[in-house]
Amino acid sequence: MLLRRLIRPVTLILGLVIAGSTQAHHSFAVYDSSRSVTVKGVVTKWQWTNPHAYLEIDSRDAAGAIQHFVLEGTSINIMIRGGWRSSMIKAGDQVTAVAAPSFNDERVGLLLEVTFANGDKRDMPIPAGYTFKRTP
Amino acid sequence: MMKMNKFIALTLGLVVVAPLCASAQKAVQPIPDITGVWEAVRDTTAPAAGQAQLKPPYLKEKQALTQAVSEANSKGEPLSTTTQRCLGDGMPGMMGGPFPMEILQSKGQVTIIQEAYTQVRRIYLDKQQKSVDDVEPSFFGSSVGHWDAGALIADTIGVKQEVLYRNTPHSKDMRIREKIYFAANGFLRDEVTIEDPVVLEKPYTYTVSYRRLPDYQMLEYVCEDNRYYTDEQGKQRMHSDTPSR
Repeated sequence: MLLRRLIRPVTLILGLVIAGSTQAHHSFAVYDSSRSVTVKGVVTKWQWTNPHAYLEIDSRDAAGAIQHFVLEGTSINIMIRGGWRSSMIKAGDQVTAVAAPSFNDERVGLLLEVTFANGDKRDMPIPAGYTFKRTP
Repeated sequence: MMKMNKFIALTLGLVVVAPLCASAQKAVQPIPDITGVWEAVRDTTAPAAGQAQLKPPYLKEKQALTQAVSEANSKGEPLSTTTQRCLGDGMPGMMGGPFPMEILQSKGQVTIIQEAYTQVRRIYLDKQQKSVDDVEPSFFGSSVGHWDAGALIADTIGVKQEVLYRNTPHSKDMRIREKIYFAANGFLRDEVTIEDPVVLEKPYTYTVSYRRLPDYQMLEYVCEDNRYYTDEQGKQRMHSDTPSR
C-alpha cells in the first residue's frame, strides 16, 4: 500500500508533459521509483537498440553466486542527444550501475546511471528521470 | 444625379476593388520556409489548451479507461499502448515531443517525419479532401492543405478509431484541422482543432510550439528489439521478466 502511494505521484508527474506530446514507448510504472539498487559487475551484453537500450550485467552476490541483471535504458536517439555513444560500454567491462528495480524481479531494472571502467559516470536521460529516487 | 453617380462609383469601388486588393495582398504573402528539423517546446505565450468535452457515453468510456490505466499503474502492471507495441502515435499525437520532427516542403506537398517510430505524414497541397467514406482508416489519415496568409491550413480525416490521443475515443467522423504558422516569438506553432460531432460536445483546440534545430540531423528509429509484449489481459510485459535470456 505504501508503494502504491509512492508511485502514484510519479505516474502523475509523467503525465505532465508538453501539450500534444507523443507517448513514451511504455509506462515506467513497472519500476519502483522509491528506491534504487546498485549493481557492480561485468557487462555480458550492451544492446544499442530502439525502442530502448539494454545493459546486462553478471554480478556476484554476498554468497559469491552470480546473479544476472537486465537493466533497461531509454531510446538510443534520446541517449545520443544526451551525449551517449554505443562505444562507451562493451561486453567484459567492469561497471557499476544504479537502477530502479522492477516490482516483479529485483534483477530487472530501469537504468539510472552507469559508472564506467575508467571511473567516468553518466546519467541515463530518462524522461522525468528525476522522479526516480536514488537510495543507498 | 451627379451625386448618385459618385455614390454608385464609390460603392462599386469598395465592392469590387477592395477584395481585389485584399486578394492581391494575400497572393503576394510569401510562403514561409518551414523546411527543417523542429523540437516541441514549452511556450508560455501560446494560447491555453482546450479540453475535450465528451458526450455522456464517450465520457464514461474515457473515464473507465483513465481509471483502468491509473489502477494498472498503481499495481505496477501498466496497460498496453500502441507505442509500447512500437506502432507509433498516429495523428495528432505524432506532432508532439519529445523527439524531433522534420518538415519537408516540396512541390504540391508538405511531408512531416516524426523521429520516434519513423512516423511519416504527407499533406497534399491544393487538393480536394475526400469524403470520410472514401478514405481507408489509417494512423495518419488523409491530409490536404493550402497556404493562407503565411499559414499552412491542413485538414485530416480517416484516422483509425484504435489510434487514441490522450485516451480520448473518437468516431470515424473525427476531423483534425491545423494551422501551422510562425508566432511573433519566432516559434513555429501547430494550432490543432479536433472536431468530432459524434463524440465531442464541441470542437477543442490546443497548440504545440516548436523551436528550430538548425544543426540537427535526424536519426533513424527502428524498433529493433521490443522486449515488451501484451499479455492476455492487455497488460505490458517484458520478455526478460525471467532474466535468463
